[in-house]
Amino acid sequence: MSDRARNRIGFVLFAVGYLCAVTWVFTRSAPLDSGRPVTLRFAHWQIEAGPPDGIAAVIKRYEELNPRVRVEQQLVPGAVYKQWLRSNLAGGTGADLIEWGPWLEGVRDVPARHFVPVTEELKRPNPYNRGTPLEHARWEQTFIDGLSGQRIDSPDPGQVYGVTLTEVSLRFFCNRELLRDITGTEAVPQTFAELRRIFELLPDYSRRVGRPVMGLAGARDNTHWLLDFLLAGTTMGLNFSMDDYGYLALYNRQLLAGYLHGRWNFRQPEVGAGFELLREVARHMKPGFMQVTRDEATREFLGGDALFIFAGTWDATSLRRLAPFTVVALRFPQPTLDDPVVGRYLIGRSNDGGGITAMAMHLSRHSRHPAEALDFLHFLTSVEGMQLFTNASGWLPSVREVKIPAEIESFKGRQDGFASANPYTLIGSNVSMLFARNIHLLLGERGSVARFTEELDRIMPEAVRSDLQTELRSSLTTLKGQEMRMVAHANLAADERSRREWLMLEAGQTLSEGFALEMARNLATTQH
Amino acid sequence: MAGVFLPAPWIPGKCPGLIFLLPLLAVSGRVDAATTADAWRALADSRPQEALRITAGLPDSREVRLARALALSHLQPVTDDALAEAEAVFTELAAGQDETALEAHYLRARLHQIHYSRPDPVRAAELYAELAARQPASRWAQLALVKLALLQLYALENPAGPEARLVRAEELLGRLTEPALQRDLHLQIGLAGLHHGLKPERVLPHLVAADRIGDVPGIAQEDLVMQIAELSLRAGRLAQAREYFERYLRDYAVNPRCFTVRHRLVELEQLAAREGAR
Repeated sequence: MSDRARNRIGFVLFAVGYLCAVTWVFTRSAPLDSGRPVTLRFAHWQIEAGPPDGIAAVIKRYEELNPRVRVEQQLVPGAVYKQWLRSNLAGGTGADLIEWGPWLEGVRDVPARHFVPVTEELKRPNPYNRGTPLEHARWEQTFIDGLSGQRIDSPDPGQVYGVTLTEVSLRFFCNRELLRDITGTEAVPQTFAELRRIFELLPDYSRRVGRPVMGLAGARDNTHWLLDFLLAGTTMGLNFSMDDYGYLALYNRQLLAGYLHGRWNFRQPEVGAGFELLREVARHMKPGFMQVTRDEATREFLGGDALFIFAGTWDATSLRRLAPFTVVALRFPQPTLDDPVVGRYLIGRSNDGGGITAMAMHLSRHSRHPAEALDFLHFLTSVEGMQLFTNASGWLPSVREVKIPAEIESFKGRQDGFASANPYTLIGSNVSMLFARNIHLLLGERGSVARFTEELDRIMPEAVRSDLQTELRSSLTTLKGQEMRMVAHANLAADERSRREWLMLEAGQTLSEGFALEMARNLATTQH
Repeated sequence: MAGVFLPAPWIPGKCPGLIFLLPLLAVSGRVDAATTADAWRALADSRPQEALRITAGLPDSREVRLARALALSHLQPVTDDALAEAEAVFTELAAGQDETALEAHYLRARLHQIHYSRPDPVRAAELYAELAARQPASRWAQLALVKLALLQLYALENPAGPEARLVRAEELLGRLTEPALQRDLHLQIGLAGLHHGLKPERVLPHLVAADRIGDVPGIAQEDLVMQIAELSLRAGRLAQAREYFERYLRDYAVNPRCFTVRHRLVELEQLAAREGAR
């Protein structure tokens, strides 16, 4: 066959194929969406009972107001969230609006690389607040905390990347009917001493009803939350004594450096007191609690096998929806200054959460519809949007002027306790890992505070150093990215917005650079 | 819905003829010419690969070469070879006499300070000093002075003592004319003084000066107000401590630190009463 004939056949086949494809598309296929030209995807890991309903309620109303836009909620389990985030962002296929938090190890570089700062937008009123008391307030001022958590965690000082949806706190949930059966009253414990007295009644009650009823629903996660809380209380004074910078707080990098410089260690009595208190509380959990996760603790509490459960308000909706009894959310009855175990190390009450808003949503750089995504964020965080979210989710709102249902009023932070730093268990990923791996030396059958703390101080120096190096690396990654953007904006400075970005990045970079140099020096001067 | 013939309402105008024109439109569509500003915008948006693609289609100029070298130095995965290639371009551009030359000089110093896998703060400091001497009033030279001061405060071996480090940085501060950069360096000198264990009295003037210039970015502004209040209390400057603690409560009313601040104010008043009674 000649080349010419072959070409002709090829062309005819191509033309037929093309015509078939056109005919198919034109006559037989269906549209991929519902006729709305814009589809937004909204991804988060809050798959507990509550938030998905809250967001669905907001979406429903938003779609009524905006017939062009469809919003899809993507629920991504926490166990795979980081992998999902990394792979989707690398491929430019992630959702338009994405939840992110600074404690997610290994993805600290994400905001600066993949999210769009909303700093400028936050300076203008939220258009969906028209007709409300927040009508003229700048968007950032409508948040309960002015988005201070987002400012603290921003990789570029001065820029804000995330917009929050809720406020969380730690609470002590109680089975009211069981409390009445055990104590003969519905009076809840106000102090740790009162809690001890209730715990003392449990063995007798268990014998009476012929089944074991524990004081506290136990699981690995809940125990770690409780340890963090108790430790924060006993180490408050120690933290303030290390506050050379006068922040009345310590950043992780300072706690890590403090350990390397020998300013504190795990054998310190303040730290040991927190561990001792945890051992005491853990005796009222069922054996083997460190082998199970929070779902098991929830099941134990819902089954009426434990009187209390210590959890975040993020679990509250699940507990209330599923419990066949009345669940009361209490503030944890904290030890007082006269407590025989830890009193001498306390300086007062500890802050038990609230004040800082969370569940931060971020606008992806890869979004095909950034204007619509921002518009949805505006609606979601408006008074109307937040009211819908709060009512349907049972979670606190992040925005002022939203009516809080009576049943979650007790979740609100009261700002009546000291706050100084992250608990020592949470200052770095290696530190956290070693804590989790060795906590059996504290809570196991032959465990003790001395055994645990001696082992920690044997293995921690290397982990602490490694965590500080990670902080430094992360800081340097941010610095390098800032450089490119700062210089680029300087070259676009004829545009006013670019000029502002340039100056903000320049100042932010100098700040970050100072912290990086400080970390590098701390690492160098403690190298043995 | 299988087997049901559906119309195609999303095809514009439902015009069958249009479908045959689509391939032609696709190959003959006119694309607006990119500009150097587009390359800078791509870099401002953290898209160095896009910037390289844009600059490849632009006529050669010193600005285009600068943007291209900057993109090259940020293209993932970053290698020392790529950085060396970028440095060669910066070096060549820095030999000129225009604004691009100063910018390239600055970026060359930055490569040595933070980008190469083995940073060389001494070399970076030399380049900053050269740039500052070259055209002291330019923005890039002024910024170089701030970066040089940071190295003096933390990284360079000479001068060694804390006080000497601060004095050297203060000399550089005296050469700054841009208020925003003065603010940044005041703040850094204050923080470095605290890192080196100097007394609050030594660093407070710098922190207060940074606050007076204003517009400290992000959470650092909140921290700064707190620091001035607390360090003033420690230094016995009660009036200044009260002023800043009260400002903190007013401006950052929802921060969990407010509880501690209220405690500090009570302590402050007790101290003031004791001093008044003396």
